Order: sequence, then C-alpha cells, then structure tokens
Amino acid sequence: MSLRARAAALPRETRDTLFLLLVIALCIAPLAPHLPAWASALALLLLLWRGALAWRAGQLPGRWVRGLLLASVAALTFLRFRTIVGYEAGVTFIVMLLALKTLELRARRDAMVIFFLGFFTLVASFFFSQALPTALATLLGLLGLLTALVNAHMPVGRPPLADALATAARMALAGAPVMVALFAFFPRIAPLWGLPSDMATGRSGLSAQMRVGSIAQLALDDGIALRVRFGTPGGQPPPQSELYFRGPVLTAFDGREWLALSQPEAQAFVWARATPAQLQVQGPALPYEVTLEPNYRPWLLVLDAAQQPPELPEGFRALMTPELQWLASRPITSVLRYQASSHLQFSHGPREDSRALRPYLQLPASLNPRTLELARQLHPSGGEPQAFIDAALARLKTGGYRYTLEPGVYGEHTADEFWFDRKEGFCEHIASAFAVLMRAGGVPARIVTGYQGGQMNGVDGYWTVRQSDAHAWTEVWLEGRGWLRVDPTASVSPDRIGLPLRLAPARGALGNAMAGVVSPGVLLHLRALWEATNNRWNQWVLNYTQQQQLNLLERLGLKAPDWQDLVRVLGGLTALAAVLGMAYAAWQRQRRDPWERLLIGARQRLARAGLELAPHLPPRAMAEQARQRFGETAEPAARWLMQLERARYAPQPAPDLALLRRQLPRLPWPKSPPARR
Amino acid sequence: MPDALAAPPARHGTRAALAARWQRWWNARLPRTDTLALTQRNLYILPTAAGWMLALTLLVLLVASINFQLNLGYLLTFLLAGSAAASIHVCHATLRGLTLHLLPPEPQFAGSAALLEVRLHSQRRRPRRAIAVALRGSEHWALADVPAGGEATVQVAFTPQRRGLHAVPMLTAQTLFPLGAFRVWTLWRPAAEVLVYPQPEQPAPPLPPGEPLAGSGAAALQHGGGELDGVRAWRQGDTLRQVVWKKAARTWASGAGELVSRDTQHSQRHELWLDTAATGLADPEARLSRLASWVLQADRLGLAYGLRLPGRQIAPASGAGHRRACLEALALC
Repeated sequence: MSLRARAAALPRETRDTLFLLLVIALCIAPLAPHLPAWASALALLLLLWRGALAWRAGQLPGRWVRGLLLASVAALTFLRFRTIVGYEAGVTFIVMLLALKTLELRARRDAMVIFFLGFFTLVASFFFSQALPTALATLLGLLGLLTALVNAHMPVGRPPLADALATAARMALAGAPVMVALFAFFPRIAPLWGLPSDMATGRSGLSAQMRVGSIAQLALDDGIALRVRFGTPGGQPPPQSELYFRGPVLTAFDGREWLALSQPEAQAFVWARATPAQLQVQGPALPYEVTLEPNYRPWLLVLDAAQQPPELPEGFRALMTPELQWLASRPITSVLRYQASSHLQFSHGPREDSRALRPYLQLPASLNPRTLELARQLHPSGGEPQAFIDAALARLKTGGYRYTLEPGVYGEHTADEFWFDRKEGFCEHIASAFAVLMRAGGVPARIVTGYQGGQMNGVDGYWTVRQSDAHAWTEVWLEGRGWLRVDPTASVSPDRIGLPLRLAPARGALGNAMAGVVSPGVLLHLRALWEATNNRWNQWVLNYTQQQQLNLLERLGLKAPDWQDLVRVLGGLTALAAVLGMAYAAWQRQRRDPWERLLIGARQRLARAGLELAPHLPPRAMAEQARQRFGETAEPAARWLMQLERARYAPQPAPDLALLRRQLPRLPWPKSPPARR
Repeated sequence: MPDALAAPPARHGTRAALAARWQRWWNARLPRTDTLALTQRNLYILPTAAGWMLALTLLVLLVASINFQLNLGYLLTFLLAGSAAASIHVCHATLRGLTLHLLPPEPQFAGSAALLEVRLHSQRRRPRRAIAVALRGSEHWALADVPAGGEATVQVAFTPQRRGLHAVPMLTAQTLFPLGAFRVWTLWRPAAEVLVYPQPEQPAPPLPPGEPLAGSGAAALQHGGGELDGVRAWRQGDTLRQVVWKKAARTWASGAGELVSRDTQHSQRHELWLDTAATGLADPEARLSRLASWVLQADRLGLAYGLRLPGRQIAPASGAGHRRACLEALALC
C-alpha cells in the first residue's frame, strides 16, 4: 500500500492524532529558536515519537515513563535557568508540557486541552517577536487549533479534515470584522503590573559595555534597528555624516572593556539636576518619527541632540541622562514609535573644569605605556588641547591606519597595539585607542555608541537603520566648549562615514544561490519591498497606540476624544451589530426557500382536497399518496411534484422553478374528497 | 401534565414546587407535535463549561496583551473572540431550520429498552453536523450528521417503566458543533403516544391447563394422553404436542410446508384460557405481568388461547393480531 493510500485509510483516531501533532508543532515552531537547544530537540523528538506510535498504532508509554520524562524536563529547566517560575523558564516549561501531553493524547478528548495550551504558546512567541512572519505563523496556528477543535466536534463517521478546516476558516473570516473593530477601538491601557525583570536582559542591538568584537558581530547583523521618517519637506534626511543616533555612553575603562557609569550613579545625576546634560541647541529643529525595534533595553535612540523628550505612548516616560542619552522608564520589549525633534547643532556638558570630569580622565595604570608616551609627544604641557586632537586625527589619517572588520584578536595593551603594531581595526578599536590617547594627554574623553547613517527604503520612503549601522565614536571635553563629538573612524576610513552601503552584508547560502539567478538590483528591490511591508505592519498594527486610536476618533469627527469615547464607540458598534443581527433573524424568519414555498402551496392544495400530509414528507411521497388517494385525477399534480423533486435533488440541470411556479395554480388539482375505497 | 415516563428526580419542599411550576410553564409553552420545525423561537443557547474556559482563556490572553503591550496579542485575542462569536451563529444555525419528525412508535413492553425513531430533515445546502437527540434528562445521546438537503434517522432508546398508553417522553435535540463552547438545544414534546404492555414475568410458571369446552365432562381435564385417532392438516389451535414432527419434517423437505397434527378427541374438547384468577397472585400488576408472559408463551407455542380479564374477555384464537389484541387489553385494563 502506498503511503498516500495508507494515509487515506488511517482510522479516524489515528488521523486526528497526527493532525493534532502537526498543529502542536505549528504552535511550537515560532518559539523553537528562542528555547534552549535541548528543549526544542526534545519537543521535536517527543512529537515524532508520538506520531510514529500513532502511525503504527503502538502502545502509549506508561505512567512511569511519562513521570520520568516530566521530572527530567523539570530538572533540565531548573538547571538551565536556576528557576522554574521565571519568564524564559516558564515558556520552556509550557512547551515541554505541551509536547509531553501528547504522550497521553486521545485526539477527540484532549482537543480542548491542546486548544487552550496552544493559545498560550502562541502568545508566548509574541514576547520574542511580533514581526509579520510571526503573525502569519500565528494565523496558521490559530486556524490549525480551530480546525482541530471543530474536527473533535464532528463525532459521526470520518468526515474529511477539509470540512473542519472550511468551517474554521469561515468562523475566522466572520470573526475578522469583530477583530478589526475591537482592535481599533478597544482602549489601550498601561500595563497592569510590572514586567518580570528577566525580560530586560539584552537580546540584540547595542550593549551596555564595549568589548573587542562586540560591534563586529552587530556589523554582520542585517536586522533593522530603527526606522525614521523625517518631518522635513519631502521627508529628505539630513546629510549622512550628520546622522548620529545616540546610544549608551561608555566611560569606565579597564584596559579592554568600556563600561557605562554604574546605574545608581547615573540615576543620582538624573534626579539631582534639572538639565544635567546642560544642552544648548542652535539652528532649526529637525522633527522626525522613530519606529524602534525592541532592544530589550530602556534606550531610546534619537539623533544627536534632542532637547525635548520624545513623545512616547501611554505607559512610558522619557528621561535624559547627564550624558545626553534618552532613556525610557522601562525596557523596550516591543516595537515602539515616538516623535522626537533634534538640533544637529548643539553644545553640551559643563563649560568649566570640575570634579565631575575626573571619571573621564581615568586610565588603568601600567597599561598602554607607548600610548602614554605618544600623548606626551603630541601634547606637550602647556599645548592647546585642540592642537592635540588635530595631531591625533592627522596621525590616523596619514599614519597608514586601515579600517577592517577582521582585525584579529588584540592583546593586553589594546591602544598600543592599535597605534603602533597592527594599525588596523574598526570603529571600536579606533575610538577606544583614540579615547585612551586623549585621556593620556589629559583631555577628558568618552566613548559614545549608537548607530550612524542608514539607508532610504525606495519603496516606502522610510529611512532604515540596521544593526550593521552600529557605530562607536568619541567625545572630548574642551574648556569653555563642553563635550565635542570626534569620530576618529572618519579619519581612518572616510568612506565609513557618509556613504550608503558601506558594509555589504555577508550573504548566506541561499543568497549566493539567488545571486546567480537574480540580479543584485532586483534582490535589493525585493528586500526593500519586504522591509516596506514589514514597516507597514509595524506602523499600522504593532504601533497602534491610544494616540492613534484618538486620532482615528478625531478623524471620525469627534472633538477632543478621550478613552471614554472609545468605550462609547465600542458600545455603539456592539449595539449596531445586535440590531443588525436581530434584523437578519427577523428577515430569516420571514424568508422561506422558494422551493419550500412551492411545496407548501402543493400541500395546502392537497389538504383542501382532503389529503392532510405531514410537512416533512418529500414531494415523491406526496405524489405517491396523492396517486393512491385520488387515482388518475391526481396524475398531473403528481407529475408536477416529481418535477419539483428533480428541481431540488437532480444532479443534472433540472426544471426551472419559475416554470413550476407558473404551473402550480393552473394544474388540475384534485378538487373534492373522493369516496373512500 | 407531569411526565410519567421520564420523571425528573424527586426534590423536596419549595424547590420541588418551584420546579413543578417551572415544568408546567414550560409544558404550556411546548405544544405537543410529532413534527417540530426548529426556529429561533424554540431553540435555546448557553455556553458550556468549555465555553467558560474559553472565556477565561480570552481574559488571560487580553491581560497578557495589556501587560506586555503586545499588539499582536490583541489581534490574536480579538480574532479568537470574533471566531467564538461566529461560532455562536454557526452553532445556532446547525439546528435552526432543521425539522424533527417522530415516526409512530411501536408498542413496547414495560421495563425493556425500546427505540423511538426520529427523522431529521434538512433543507440547508451545507450538511448539519453532530446533532444529538436524547430523552430529556438522559445522557444517552444518539448522534447523526444530516446531509445537505437530506435526511438522517436517529434512534433514541428508552425504557418505559409502567404499562398503559403514555405520551412519548419529552425529547431534547442539541448540538455542540463547532467549538463545543456553546450548546444549542430544543425541547420537544411529541404528540404520539406509545402503548406499553405489562412487563412479562421472568421466569413465568408454565401455562395453566386447558379447560373443557362447555358441555364436556370434567374427566377430560387430563389431556395429551389420548391415543392417536389419525392425522389431519394442522389448524389454528393445535398444540405443539399434537404436531406429528416426523411427518412435518418430511412435508417441509418436499416444500409443501404444512404441519400435520394428531387428530384427537381430547384436544377438540379443551381450550386454553388465560385467566386473571388462574395466576394465583394477589397484586393486580403482578397478575398482568404473568398473563403477559403467558400470552407470549402461548403465542410462541402456536396455541389458541383466550384471555379473561375482570370485565373483559377475548375469545380463544391465535396469531399476531390476536396476540396484539390480548397485550393491548392487558396494557389498558
């Protein structure tokens, strides 16, 4: 027997079990990359095992085996996360439970349990991603779960799964307007309680420290970090070389690693002073809107430098650190859209030397001796700090320094190695070496990380900043001028700053295969198209906030709407739906099938002649009874009834109902009750 | 009128009184009919336990969406809510427009399972799934799918407890399709009546001896011991003992299919009367049970028998029609 025939001949329970397993796999699949490897592998193995058991009609494992598996899964989860209640541990555990549940699965009975567990897994996957592909996978999962449930409620015979799927799809389709209305008008509320803390552990994007290699990894990540729509005429961006999106500022240096000021210290700054960054702006403001992908950090990326806090949706507050970075009141775990405006010309920081600048001069002792010596050469005591900076930049420009993404592993004296031995590296090596040199020469300096540049998406006109645009530059402090941005990378590799498409992303195997067939231009266009679609999704769905809701109401004609208006609109829509439903019901009660009307007409005529027939009788039975009762006189009526039957049930094109309707009053119906035989 | 056949479990005090009032009110709402067309007016719908579970799931999903500010979570929650709302309509439409028709029920014996045949007739262009019919209050659902524009038949088992002519007990038709979150059902009081014969006594004592025909001597009471006077064709009223089985086998083998009886004087002078008095029991129902059992025995043996009840007498005869007449008399006396 071929596999296909075998599949078609499977007993119902086996078929339903296999289908449920498939649905479970669909629900787990979006989570798989985020689970520990052993969990994904074990889940897959369990599903395959259960599938094989179902296929061969084998015996399900006993209680001991299941208990043992459950215990080992719990132990593994605990070993991995050191807890079993935390967020990631919880998701892992739910997935494992779902997979284990299949081992005692009876398709019909357990469809409901799987249904509810399945929805929790689907929602759990949203914590990791809410992108368009996730949404599509979720839709598939929802349809699968609904189909499984509908199938479980078709207990008679072995109806094809396609029937259940059609019913499920019809329900989902009918539910779509409800979804749209609720989504548009259900008031968006701030979180009801605090988020679990382990949500905030960094997953992508910039990090709070800079270590050799960390930005290099980002540079190879083609993912999107943020999208910007500029409020300038035509949405034109400012020159590339001005586009510095500020992230964490790193101050403490231990010779290899740059760290931000410790969190309590930074907060003390924030609350102590009203305008801690002492920002002074010049020139016109540049308004823009940022759609930030989740970075699981409280970092709001804005163009240097924003004086006003970005306008955040309900539930967020923005605050500025003394180092000019904007922070949100909680980690950004989903796509976030905010309005901001920046002045590209600005100055900030204290103008006078003070104790507060000391951390920016600190260097680890006994490291980088040659750089210290270089600083003494370039910046003799009494020299101008500006001249020192210029000399350092000139050395970078003309000293044979090279920009590369593969500088190899640096040793202990990172700055020395960069300035004298290797003379190559990328932004973080260059910025680090430069900052060390500045500090050695007595000029306060710090590292700023963030994104630089970006690229216009030709399809929807959004400015797209990728992880590969991650960058590190330096700021130096000069008496009377405050902190000044110096990007030493620009001196080494002027191309690195100011040109689009600096880093060609490393193509995967698929990309290489495609490249042979499709021209790079088409590929780029396809990518732009895909990203524009994703962006639409972000803008319209993921970023639909209370502000957007209220804007919608305003466009609908409400003046100064608030969330109570949202409730009112929802109530109105519900009432409207109820009225429509009642009208439909009333109409349906009135309406009869035209065929049925004809049948009723015939039944009434026969009743008038004395033949009372039950309303459930089909036309054929009515014709027989009429023939029996009235004999020959009923023949035309009987023939008409047979035609009526054909009109409904014949597989071939059958007599026209209109014709039958015209015939009905003209037929010689039996008139009076005949004598009983 | 309380239902004698499917009486609800007895309750006490005010609750019982309220329940009875409620029942009367319902019954007044439900005219007796053998053909019930299901419309909005006679269909009821409520969420099931699974439905409440679904509501709880929706709430948890909503709270998760709010707390983690998951717009995709909102979408999923609302789509599920919309689908559940659509399922209410689908569930209701599964029964709405369906016609139930009860085929005239056959007479039954009290205490033994009998079948009511219900024909489901649908005019819809899509099949109707998972329609369950049962006696009200019982959980033995008879399930059927009704094909598009077609018919299906379900058989509902019931066990009448008391003899007599009863109304068919109240029936319920329901469906949980498609999600099991809602149950739509109807209550149906068919107009048909079912005749319930007394429960035959098991095991029953042997048949009473025959009685001499009027005018013959009392000495003729012992029967069956007479000598063979010859044979004749079997006729109604001959006992099994009178049949000449060897001859009968031969005539059957030749295809004539005729029984042959011993022609004795005795048998012609005796007849079998099943008499209330002959049961030797005091309880009237027990007497009827024994008589019913005897009727069945006598009928199985092909004997001619008469039935004597207080105030009624059925002359000796045999055959299916006679048997039915006797059992009917027993059921209704």
